[in-house]
Amino acid sequence: MRTELYALLALLLGMVCLTGLGDESVLSLYVLFALAAIVTVGVSLLMGQAGQVSLGQGAFYACGAYTAGVLTTQGAPGLVGLLAAPLAAAALAIVIGIPLLLLRGHHLAFATLAAHLIFLSVVGEMTITGGDVGLQGIPRLRVGGFAFDSVRSYAYLSSLALLAVVIIARNILVSRPGRGLRALSTSEIAAASSGIPVALYKLAVFALSAAFAGLAGGIYAFYMGYLAPGSFPVLLSIEYLVMAAIGGLGTIAGGLIGSAVVLLLVHALSRLATMSGMPQTAPVILSYAVYAILLVAAVLFLPGGISSVITPAWERIFRRTRPGRGT
Amino acid sequence: MSAFLSYVLHGIATGSSFALVASGLVIIYRVTRVVNLAQGTFAVFAAFMAATLLGAGLPHGAAEILAVLVAAILGLLAGVVAVGKRGTSPQASLIATLGFAIFCYALEILIWGDQPQSFPGLAGSFEYLELEFPKQYAVIVVVTLVVFALLEAFFEWTYVGKALTACASNPYAATLVGIGVVRMSLLGFMLGGALGGIAGVLIAPLSPMSYDSDLSLFVNGFASAILAGLKRPVFALAGGLVLGIVEALIAGYAKASYQSALALLLTLAILVVQAARRPALQGSEE
Repeated sequence: MRTELYALLALLLGMVCLTGLGDESVLSLYVLFALAAIVTVGVSLLMGQAGQVSLGQGAFYACGAYTAGVLTTQGAPGLVGLLAAPLAAAALAIVIGIPLLLLRGHHLAFATLAAHLIFLSVVGEMTITGGDVGLQGIPRLRVGGFAFDSVRSYAYLSSLALLAVVIIARNILVSRPGRGLRALSTSEIAAASSGIPVALYKLAVFALSAAFAGLAGGIYAFYMGYLAPGSFPVLLSIEYLVMAAIGGLGTIAGGLIGSAVVLLLVHALSRLATMSGMPQTAPVILSYAVYAILLVAAVLFLPGGISSVITPAWERIFRRTRPGRGT
Repeated sequence: MSAFLSYVLHGIATGSSFALVASGLVIIYRVTRVVNLAQGTFAVFAAFMAATLLGAGLPHGAAEILAVLVAAILGLLAGVVAVGKRGTSPQASLIATLGFAIFCYALEILIWGDQPQSFPGLAGSFEYLELEFPKQYAVIVVVTLVVFALLEAFFEWTYVGKALTACASNPYAATLVGIGVVRMSLLGFMLGGALGGIAGVLIAPLSPMSYDSDLSLFVNGFASAILAGLKRPVFALAGGLVLGIVEALIAGYAKASYQSALALLLTLAILVVQAARRPALQGSEE
């Protein structure tokens, strides 16, 4: 309990320092980190705790973004759009989750990937979403008298969202349903025979991770002001998977660490690649190579992710003998 | 009527390539229980390779065969990454093959750039009753049939083929009779790489391929494999042809941009119905 509190305080401190002191370029990277971390915490929960593979998380991100974008371009207040984003993503997750969660393992992985592709092709055909051309002119978010029109304001907004997501996820992990999820990830039959409503819990965690992604997507829509199907390629879904796997599946810290490490590395490499003398394709090549190498290395040699190295050290610092789960 | 027939013919040609990709997936899955997400990559890599070799002046045939061999080596490498380390779970291997596929993106862009590539196949077309049938389609169908016949013979009549089947049905028992399961797994990946490569060199002349074409190839191949139940390569041929024809008909009569979405929807429906009919107690295996 105490170490969790310290971890949360450290996170808060980091957020305040970065959002308060960072300049424009730091802040824009920070917003990307916070949004990615929100999604990744959900992926980590879904994959690591409930044992369900999703290669379609980007679709829920896109769903949230489009919900916020379409609602506000149609004249709804920004706050309504922002709140509707996670709800719409969760609703979509429930609708497709009822049939798809009957599937397991690689079947589910394929099904979620397929759902992502179908979602993109539907969005590309609809006129209200701007089709393949994209949705332009999404107004900046206004809540009451306050207009979110600087990068810094979005850094605050995404920090708040990330904090909320971390607290929700943490409370679920230590609750009875959280234990139920861990049980069903090892054996659904054993979990069901101990009285855990397996189908319901799987659907609930699927919807929750979708809601996280939708929330991040909603913020992204206001932040960018422009959306197109091309902004949400399948590779986006895979990015979240990479982040979660590198940080450590099933832990909240893993989601945060993974997204931070991947984004920082990719950012550093893209700075390196855009230096003079490098070929034009260098940024793409380097980022693909980094994703690939990190992913394979994490899966094969560090199955618990970076957090499995850091968490014990953290526990030692704060003199706790029992390894805690879920910080 | 002639429109219908030409859609079907087009469907058979593209379906054959799906079937080749699918058969690679099935062979790898049978032996290792791993769904190889890099399966489409082999096709793309072989197509690029063939384009380069043809550009360097190699004759048709030799260039394609060399490209397929390169794809087989790539398959072997994917196998080393995915199952080379002892005790890797199928889920970890699945993600490792994904990593391998992404690494190949980097490699492909590094070597060939990010523009789509193509090369000419067999030019001209047969004409019969106002129907035009490009000769390249005939090449695709004939090669596919030959490859599937060879595969069946390989699994039916050779010791190595039998050993692969043995590993598929019971790895433990296979080890007991002296079959090296890891070596067989790597062989499975090599075969899968070659089959993906064949698909790639066959369809590259139909439409230019870019480095991320592997996604649609994988999705269609996996859909065909699933239609076939991931069991025997020959079933994958049937699955691929069905999927190819359905997609061609959708593209012809409805709208081309719907074809893959509708085909995916169909596959999902089949998957879900299969899963719903399977008794819960057997379900944990898949």
